[in-house]
Amino acid sequence: MKTSDAAIAVTGLRKTFGATVALDGLDLRVREGEVHGFLGPNGAGKSTTIRILLGLMRDDGGEAVLLGGDPWRDATALHRRIAYVPGDVNLWPQLTGGEAIDLLGAVRGGLDKTRRAELLDLFELDPRKRSRTYSKGNRQKVALVAAFASNAELLVLDEPTSGLDPLMEAVFQRCVTAERDRGRTVLLSSHILSEVEALCERVSIIRNGRTVETGTLDDLRHLTRTAVTATLAAPAPGLTALPGVHDVTTDGDTVAFQVDDGHLEAAMTLLAGAGIRGITSRPPTLEQLFLRHYESEATVR
Amino acid sequence: MTGTLRLIRLILRRERVLAPLWILLLGSLSAGQAARYARTFTSDATIADFATEMTGNKALLAFSGQVYAPTLAGMTVWKIADTVFVLIGLVTVLTVIRHTRTEEETGRAELLGSGVVGRAAPLAAALGFTWTASLLTGLITALGMIKQGFDAEGSLAFGLAVAAVGIVFAAVAGLAAQLTDGARTAVGLAGLALGVGYVLRFLADGSGREWLKWLSPQGWSHLVKPYATDDLTVLGLSLALTTALTVGAFALRARRDLGAGLLAQKPGPADGRVRSPLALAWRVQRGLLAGWVTGFAVAGVAFGALASAIPGLADKQGDSMREFFERYADNGHTDLVDTYLWLMALSLGYVCALYPLLAVLRMRAEETTGRAELLLTGAVARLRWAAGHLLIATLGSAAILTAGGLAMGAVAGDPWRVLGAVVLQVPAVWVLAGIGVLAFGLLPKAAGWICWGAFLFVNLFGEILGPIVGIPYATSKAVIPFLYLPKVISGGEFSAVPVLGLTVLAVALTAAGLAGLRRRAIV
Repeated sequence: MKTSDAAIAVTGLRKTFGATVALDGLDLRVREGEVHGFLGPNGAGKSTTIRILLGLMRDDGGEAVLLGGDPWRDATALHRRIAYVPGDVNLWPQLTGGEAIDLLGAVRGGLDKTRRAELLDLFELDPRKRSRTYSKGNRQKVALVAAFASNAELLVLDEPTSGLDPLMEAVFQRCVTAERDRGRTVLLSSHILSEVEALCERVSIIRNGRTVETGTLDDLRHLTRTAVTATLAAPAPGLTALPGVHDVTTDGDTVAFQVDDGHLEAAMTLLAGAGIRGITSRPPTLEQLFLRHYESEATVR
Repeated sequence: MTGTLRLIRLILRRERVLAPLWILLLGSLSAGQAARYARTFTSDATIADFATEMTGNKALLAFSGQVYAPTLAGMTVWKIADTVFVLIGLVTVLTVIRHTRTEEETGRAELLGSGVVGRAAPLAAALGFTWTASLLTGLITALGMIKQGFDAEGSLAFGLAVAAVGIVFAAVAGLAAQLTDGARTAVGLAGLALGVGYVLRFLADGSGREWLKWLSPQGWSHLVKPYATDDLTVLGLSLALTTALTVGAFALRARRDLGAGLLAQKPGPADGRVRSPLALAWRVQRGLLAGWVTGFAVAGVAFGALASAIPGLADKQGDSMREFFERYADNGHTDLVDTYLWLMALSLGYVCALYPLLAVLRMRAEETTGRAELLLTGAVARLRWAAGHLLIATLGSAAILTAGGLAMGAVAGDPWRVLGAVVLQVPAVWVLAGIGVLAFGLLPKAAGWICWGAFLFVNLFGEILGPIVGIPYATSKAVIPFLYLPKVISGGEFSAVPVLGLTVLAVALTAAGLAGLRRRAIV
């Protein structure tokens, strides 16, 4: 991939705080125009990476390129093309929500007035209220409206929906989809896996400051197992011995097991030999993918 | 009140460094002053002479209060009491607000309030802790004075007088915390009460209208007259006011929701006119600045009014009077009124030094709350963001001193000379601003400590702390920027050298701080 199609290109990024290693050679590549999911357990280094990309912090090694520029050196110029929504939005108590939105728009190089009005409507936000009276969810809506109404090329969203109710979560997902359709790039750091599954073409999973998986959701599923439940005419004793087949349980004529992606065909052939009366197979959910990494992290620690 | 004890334990844990520090410092200040005077005045006769001289110096009486007992103990109290009263009032206000309104504003109170903690418990815990700390300060003061060989009755009376000021202003803060929904506004309200108490007491002692003292909590503690009459009944007033304020605070707490204040919020504009970092800095900072300008205008009127009550001619024979004129007048021909005016100009400068430090700390608060991050991830360079706040801090300092100088000069009947003398303090105030910026740029996490420390150091070291720890004034004054300024109203000639020197120093400190800000991480 050429650097020019990458909105974000991070290679071998390192950052330490005293004795704590926050980033240990992290890689992240976000293509222009895609919605990229950025996943990892708490403390994995997601926010540190984002803070380096936003020029709030300096890296200790490796390379980070943001929209073709250096996030630290070219910060001000790059920020005209970026909109950022933090996970914990704190606003100026003296300003109303509307004033805060317009201020954020002004320092980001412009705001689309029509879209601003539409978004206020969609998110059901009263812009005349003082920021100090807003709930966490409403403060987040202020930052989201400001970001979606901006003309930024790249949206950096750091757990942007942690305070939103399910209805507003749906509005958020519609907005991100609309952004993608308009050709904007989105980096979405999130813990809500259904959200990532619905929105992101590609994801990167990080753990202990390192990237452990990256690719499209389909790619990642291929790396894992499919869960199969079948009702058989006759027992299939050879199943347990088959390579790539795990966790076989039998309950009467029903057998359930998991199979590695490359061995699915062999398993099906064996089942077909025993006579299949009914079968369901589920691809792994993102949650399973994710839990695998969380759990292995627990064992590493 | 359920859970109060548990909350007190939490406060003890959080205050384990700061509280012992101020209790010990404030508690030992008086004994330190006594030891210093014991070294200076070696006989009863010399101390009696000193007392007589001071009684004739209305300008100093305004600051320290009346001389009630011409003894070593009495003069120690005369010299140090008001300083201790102001400081204990200030720390108790800050302590109570920190554990009440700040907790609510940050949402920590909500976390605890959902546990087995009564609605009134946080206020009860904060007051209980602060009152105990005030009593402890009083006790240490009394013990220290007894150890200096002063009589126990007077020492205990003085200790109680000290504790009483702390206790009253803790209750004032407890009430202020219920009125507003922002911690800073609450500190401002309680600080205003402290300031009004100070000015009333100041006017009473400077003008000789002693009845004014009965209107001021600090005044009541002065009226105990330790080592003279030891009149503890006056403290009944402190107790009564404390009770009334506390009952009021708990009644208000019972009536309002968590996080809400009594002063309600109106809806504001739906569209923004705040479109630049400078405009935003102005919105963030203007309330603080308006409060300071008003406060200085009021104080200027009070201090100016006093100038006419001071006799121009004073006996300059005694050692102490000579020393007074040496410090605050340029030559021996200056009269007492002009010397007083210079002392007042200096004092306004000393107090004003806190303003730019608070303004810098507000900028730091913008950073720690993540609000600065919202701007800095837009097309706003760090220096441009900081420049907005610093412009207001520096020009604001000048505006505050101008307001104080205009008011004082107009009332004193000598407008332009007084204004000039007060505005002359600006470069020295800027040096403090520079120290604040340096701390903010290089040691952001310690900036709060450094700013308050620098302010207290400048205010206490030259005249009080330095001499107590054995550093003579001639040496200690070298580190106080204000004492380099030419005494333009009390006989001195204007000289640009110190003004430029201090300005250059302030610019250098600021530049170093900003260079640090450009390099460090925003947290």
